[in-house]
Amino acid sequence: MFDFLETTVDKFTFKVATDRFYNAEGVWAKEENGRVRIGLSDFVQQRSGDVAFAEIKPAGTALVVGEEFAVIETIKVNITYTSPVNGKIVDVNPAMKDAPEAINQDPYGAGWLAVMEVSDWEAQRAKLLDPQAYFKIMKGQAEEEAKKL
Amino acid sequence: MTIPTQKVIIVPCSGIGKPYGSVSREAAYEITEDLRPGRTQLVPLALLVLGDEESRAVVAACPAVTIDGCKLACAAKMVQQSGGTIAQEFAVLDVYRNHKDLKPLGIAELNEGGQKLARVLAEEVTAVVDDLFNGKQGGENA
Repeated sequence: MFDFLETTVDKFTFKVATDRFYNAEGVWAKEENGRVRIGLSDFVQQRSGDVAFAEIKPAGTALVVGEEFAVIETIKVNITYTSPVNGKIVDVNPAMKDAPEAINQDPYGAGWLAVMEVSDWEAQRAKLLDPQAYFKIMKGQAEEEAKKL
Repeated sequence: MTIPTQKVIIVPCSGIGKPYGSVSREAAYEITEDLRPGRTQLVPLALLVLGDEESRAVVAACPAVTIDGCKLACAAKMVQQSGGTIAQEFAVLDVYRNHKDLKPLGIAELNEGGQKLARVLAEEVTAVVDDLFNGKQGGENA
């Protein structure tokens, strides 16, 4: 289990898992036994809406930070997400093919997108946002979204 | 007040200005006006939300098929809250996942893909309606 930072904006409650790191887009990266699992934050999945399709770059794809690794189609929008780390995709969540709603249902767990092999996690981690920093950015984004309602 | 005794009630999403909500309503119109007008009756979700007595009575008396536009599933929830029996729940997104080429777009008017998706959805619901009349299916809450 992991803990969350949590905020409620308007009628929506958003959680940020505290055991991983984030880029400003809301893509999280979590180190696990020398590899890095990546996925989308709770705020991102709620803001984007119900996921219809998730297309993830296949295993074997080499990526650098900022390079597209996933296109998520929801009932509202199509969004491209970029890799938070340099490395190579070694595994893609098989649930993304038939049950991409896992992103909405469990963004920090079963809704993970891919696992990447990275060579210098410590150095890359230093360039990402820690949970507190992402929480602050996310809260600002959520408040901006709320003003549009 | 007239309560039908031999009809399946169709309750679509009320999301106005949202493509998936529009698909659900277009499908409901096709079912109740074109495909199975004698076997089905559309009950607007808004009337259930407002607590309209006649609509609640109709929903309580007949099996219902709900068509929701998003995971909030307002149509299904309102039928249950109105004392109705849901024979089957449909979600536009589930049908779209099987027909990726029919992406619904448009606010005031659905694009061609959305209209075709509504037709596909309407045919799937019609099959359920026919099964209900043929005694092949019971209500979820029955």
